[in-house]
Amino acid sequence: MMAGKGFKRIYNLSGGMKAWQNETAIGPPELGLDLFTGAETSEQTIIIGYGLEQGLREFYLEMAAQVSSLGSKSLFTRLADIEILHQQQLVALYKQVSGTELSRTDFETKLVQPAMEGGLTTTEYLLRFNPDLEQEQDILGLAMSIEGQALDLYERGADQTTDTAIRDILKQIAREERSHIAQLAKHIDEMA
Amino acid sequence: MLWKQFFTPVTSINGSEAKQLVVDEGADNVTFLDVRQPQEYEAAHIPGTKLIPMGQLDTRLDELDPEKPVVVY
Repeated sequence: MMAGKGFKRIYNLSGGMKAWQNETAIGPPELGLDLFTGAETSEQTIIIGYGLEQGLREFYLEMAAQVSSLGSKSLFTRLADIEILHQQQLVALYKQVSGTELSRTDFETKLVQPAMEGGLTTTEYLLRFNPDLEQEQDILGLAMSIEGQALDLYERGADQTTDTAIRDILKQIAREERSHIAQLAKHIDEMA
Repeated sequence: MLWKQFFTPVTSINGSEAKQLVVDEGADNVTFLDVRQPQEYEAAHIPGTKLIPMGQLDTRLDELDPEKPVVVY
């Protein structure tokens, strides 16, 4: 989110506060990530967005299975379901932008999967953040940071396109991601 | 699903490296940014940290100096 706004040197403190308190904490290994360049076309933004929604959904379903509190379980399940809606919106948007008729299956196998090759699995992605999966607050914090990435992706996509219809849809999805962050924040506050 | 493209260009550093950054740059020239919720910040945070919860980050970035290195947690 910050790299797109002119911040040149941004460091993620691996392990967060724990790493600071305990200097022997070791961050997760770097796995040769390809970076989101910010120069993607509208079509690419939609494809990446679809993959991100899929990942978010998998993440929420996995977390819903892991957490013990019913409140968190229900929140994660609800968020997982919203991501399906986002995927449907993105496929419709892709058809509109590209002018092609693609089934959702074709969209997934021909476009999304190749775009994700060489990336991290959900488990590897989780390891990168190294959350304490026994601590719901850690899981919720991780969910917020992933939603933050999604929000950033859509905001950038919306800024880039000159097509107002596409911009409106991307902005709308961005607003929904922002509301997810707000829901997660509220949930963390209520847990305190 | 694989998580390939979603990271903005951010380098991970550990606690010791963050402390070294402060030594190298000078304490006034490094921004520590806490993006957690306020009560987590209140429970424990790195001294001198700026708190901007994740949900507000995109609208409050102008409060930070983009020229200074930022350590986020």
